[in-house]
Amino acid sequence: MESGEAEQGGDAARRRRIALWVAREILPHEYRVRTWLRRAGTASDDADELIQEAYCRLAMLEDVDHIDSPYAYFFSIVRNLLLRRLKRQSIVPLETIAEIDSCHDDRPSPEQLAAGRLAYRKALDLIARLPERCGRIVQLRKIEGWSQRRIAEHLGTTEKAVEKQIWLGVRALREQWSRAEQAADDLMSAREQRGGRGR
Amino acid sequence: MTRQSASEIADEAAAWVARIDAADWSDADERQLAQWMAADPRRRGALLHAQACWVALDAPPATARTTVPRRGFVLAAGGALAASVAGGFLWLAGGTTYRTDIGEIRRVPLADGSTATINSDTQLEVTLASKRREVRIASGEAWFRVAKDPARPFVVEAGQVVVQAVGTAFSVRRRDAGADIIVTEGIVEVWAAQADGYRTSLVAGQSAFVGDNAAVRVRAGAPSDADRALAWRAGAIDLSGKTVAEAITDFNRYNRRKLVLVDPRLAGEQIDGIFRTDDPEGFGKALHDSFGVAVDSGDSDAIRIGAKNVPGEEGSGVPMSLRQQGRKTGH
Repeated sequence: MESGEAEQGGDAARRRRIALWVAREILPHEYRVRTWLRRAGTASDDADELIQEAYCRLAMLEDVDHIDSPYAYFFSIVRNLLLRRLKRQSIVPLETIAEIDSCHDDRPSPEQLAAGRLAYRKALDLIARLPERCGRIVQLRKIEGWSQRRIAEHLGTTEKAVEKQIWLGVRALREQWSRAEQAADDLMSAREQRGGRGR
Repeated sequence: MTRQSASEIADEAAAWVARIDAADWSDADERQLAQWMAADPRRRGALLHAQACWVALDAPPATARTTVPRRGFVLAAGGALAASVAGGFLWLAGGTTYRTDIGEIRRVPLADGSTATINSDTQLEVTLASKRREVRIASGEAWFRVAKDPARPFVVEAGQVVVQAVGTAFSVRRRDAGADIIVTEGIVEVWAAQADGYRTSLVAGQSAFVGDNAAVRVRAGAPSDADRALAWRAGAIDLSGKTVAEAITDFNRYNRRKLVLVDPRLAGEQIDGIFRTDDPEGFGKALHDSFGVAVDSGDSDAIRIGAKNVPGEEGSGVPMSLRQQGRKTGH
């Protein structure tokens, strides 16, 4: 948001554009892919690697305009990566591969996708769960829109210290998103039910 | 270098995001980041992931501030878009076709500021549409220096093989059952039209053969390998370490007057040297000088190597005694 960002050349702008898209379309459903991986017998470390690799594929895209169903697209990347991995380990029974090959995910329903679009609200919940100092700084930065420098001045600390808290914040947020379990869906179904009871 | 775990990479990526978020992000920072990313392909994904976690806290697009390009949102949200990567491509009619003769190497500036250097005996079609820039290689090879335009990806199709870039430099050579790709700058993505969503990224210095059946063989070589393989751009053939048989195939791409290897024993011998693409005679002479084989240039259609009347020396690698006979000849 600071002035510098607009001037940064194509790559930085592209990275940011894709990151925004991922934040809206993929992140809220990441836990879904993880759940699926777990059910397919993938260890958690391996799941981390697969997901990272899948994000890598997305990062290589010049554009995301052509992707009609972002979640399905992401899921198919992960599934293909997993298949490739399994095929390399020749000990895996063929049925397992066939099973995964034919398996489709529990695709989010339209309501759940809409819940995904509530990612922002969910994100605000996540800030509240950060450790105190970290959460305070993230809030000043993101909600109040202060620069890291201003936050440092305000708190009487160094900019490096603020940057470090933000680093911790990003790490914690990443953890929370990936372990998000049903939170986004719950949020939505709670609203659905409230609406539905009015019949 | 020991292999980093996914979570170590993720932590480093988070640190980068925090640093990007600080006010004074400089070109030097950007370069450092590029270096960090280039060292391990997984890092790019980790950075995207971390960045997404961070920007998720920004207000939603409707109220997003103006530095965010609108296109990304509007179209991603709109969804239904004509050209889906999944189902191959819709090639619009009305492109420009370029054709080179055997021996002809042509450099063509394109309207978007990119250039295509087209190798011998090649036919390709260029279509610059508003959403994407498209090149279809019907046969042969070309090297592209792509002008940066993130809004319009540059897509090269060679048979079933598709290569995509925004601003970078790479070559694509169409083969019978696939295509060779060499990246000289930046990054490209390659995939086979059949293998939906299954993309491989190649960075500068890497080359790959991508089969029509989606098999990908990546070769990571020194940057000099790429330069050597692309010496044709300067009208040269760089043979460092190639076998005689490969060299002959190379020369024959550029010349109607074909080199013919009569003595098969020579086929596997390695040879070094830089030649002009239009100088098969010079190459024949070098073979004569290094291996002592007879070279018959009497025919206007062919140059025969290892013709019957082999001189006294037998076997390979007696260059000293032979070099003396090698006189430089002008043409």
